[in-house]
Amino acid sequence: MAGLNGEVSWFCCGNAWGPCASTGRGACGTCHSGNFQHAWPNTSDACFAITHPDTCGVTGMSRRTCGFRHSTTNLCNGSRVVTSIADCGPQTDLFCGERACCGGTCASNRIVDLTPAAFSAIASLSAGLIPCTIDVG
Amino acid sequence: MFAHQVAAAQPLLIGLLLLWSSYGKVVRRDSAERTALPRLVGETRAAPAYHAVGAIEAVIALALLLPPAWTIEAVAAAVLAGGFTGYLIYAKIVVPDASCGCIGSSAKPVGRRAIGRTVLLLATALAATTADDGWWSIGSVAVVAVLVLEAAAFVMLSAELDRYWLLPLRRLRVEITHPLAGTATNDVPLAATQRRLLLSPAYRAVNGLLRSDIHDYWDDEDWRFVSYTARYDGRPATAVFAVPHQDSTPEAVRVAVVDETSGQTLYRPTLLATA
Amino acid sequence: MTTTMDRRSLLTRAALGATGLVAAGAMGSLAPETAFAAATQYPEPGQPDPNFAEGLIIGRNQDLLQVQGSDGRLHRIQLTGVTSVWKLRPTTLDQVRVGDGLYARGVLMPDGTLAAESVWVNIVNLTVSITSIGRSTLQLEHHGQKVVGYVQPGLTAAVYNGTPAVSDLSMLKVGRHAQVIGAWRPGTNEIDIATVYASN
Repeated sequence: MAGLNGEVSWFCCGNAWGPCASTGRGACGTCHSGNFQHAWPNTSDACFAITHPDTCGVTGMSRRTCGFRHSTTNLCNGSRVVTSIADCGPQTDLFCGERACCGGTCASNRIVDLTPAAFSAIASLSAGLIPCTIDVG
Repeated sequence: MFAHQVAAAQPLLIGLLLLWSSYGKVVRRDSAERTALPRLVGETRAAPAYHAVGAIEAVIALALLLPPAWTIEAVAAAVLAGGFTGYLIYAKIVVPDASCGCIGSSAKPVGRRAIGRTVLLLATALAATTADDGWWSIGSVAVVAVLVLEAAAFVMLSAELDRYWLLPLRRLRVEITHPLAGTATNDVPLAATQRRLLLSPAYRAVNGLLRSDIHDYWDDEDWRFVSYTARYDGRPATAVFAVPHQDSTPEAVRVAVVDETSGQTLYRPTLLATA
Repeated sequence: MTTTMDRRSLLTRAALGATGLVAAGAMGSLAPETAFAAATQYPEPGQPDPNFAEGLIIGRNQDLLQVQGSDGRLHRIQLTGVTSVWKLRPTTLDQVRVGDGLYARGVLMPDGTLAAESVWVNIVNLTVSITSIGRSTLQLEHHGQKVVGYVQPGLTAAVYNGTPAVSDLSMLKVGRHAQVIGAWRPGTNEIDIATVYASN
């Protein structure tokens, strides 16, 4: 699985403030907004049944479990973070077909969600959604 | 006479409701994790307790639905409904985030409607204890009408069923007259400007210099300007982007890195801006 | 206010290329990616980033914030004139209040203070389903919890399947999912909506 292109967004976890009070510590029980972590749509059969990346025609999304490392590179500026899996997500099938291009490289469908700490290292939290490429970290 | 017939009809309604309720717990094996049970009976006993409740519901349901009609069946249903009501009030007070676990595996926390439903169930069960006949003996259209009304009340109190009637109703209303139909304007939202900026070659050219998120933004004629805190050659600077309102090509975005104290422009990737 | 106007007019002219460059060599002389790579050092995956803070603001003394992290850690965060502040929109330092939730990124100073470069106040990014649409609100459901989303005229924007954001919200549908970026109203289950990404 080298260089899977897609969109990255962010999510909060770890029983923090506001609507994040009810999010818990994620599917792995380790998730915290301040850590360098991410959610991956294929961490288990139960997870895949929720996210269904195959509905959008996303292939090559390997089964990876808690703690596995991926690197996420922002296609618009080249910034890169390495994070470990802490939760199941995003719900890829809800947003099939979304597409964004940067410098001639295009990316479709939501394939990863980073924690605020990790996302803000490569993009602005207010931007919300960025084209990226994912590699094994 | 009419009251007696209505009372006799209640076991049909209660039986069907309890069968539906037990289905999720016994057949589909819904999880008890999100309910208040772990708190009430302990983590390890929550799942067996949940499934046991489902089994009891099923037994009482079948007893109510099948002949003969014994008063004890209705009393058992009333005791069960009373237990449910107490349990839900306990859950709402002690574990407000807990899901109801009533019917289906909804993650919704216990609400007033769920409590209202068990109170209605309790009332129908108490009415059923006064019956002398089985529900199969009812022959009056009026009694059937009462049953239909009661069933409608149960449906309206069941959040699990909202998607079958409440959401379609709201969808229909929004389709006829969308409450937000008047929101369209010619103004370009900041979100659109920001996205265009982020996808532009100008942004890629100066990204390594940027130190903050958007610091300020303003409009001037056909352009929107967006400034960021930056560093250039080890000293503080400001990166300012000019994004045209009309031209949506990424190459139309311009940028300059400015030293605000001297007013001088330190860096401007001109070739990108005009490409 | 005059200084803001002067500042903006200087920057406006610079961005449009109406001002002179310091040196001809400044045109594309620097490779920004190299400068960036040298300046950043990230933590091990799974670990907290010392240059990032998250939590509720429990105190503010001029431009120094005391923040209680949800992991129990206490942060001291210094705001300066160059700090960018997002609170529903890019705004000014005075909008940061006690009781607000916050994410901050900056540089951890030797004395333990985080010199903030960017702060995002009350920002939330939620995947929700739309349960009802009103004249100025969206009723949302997030992880089984009700959330009320307020539409802010002139600000709230919608993105339909990756197309550019527009102010027209009339294509939102009841029963559909959406991703909402907004600002939480402290102490409530209400948010003001900045951008809503409609699912298809």
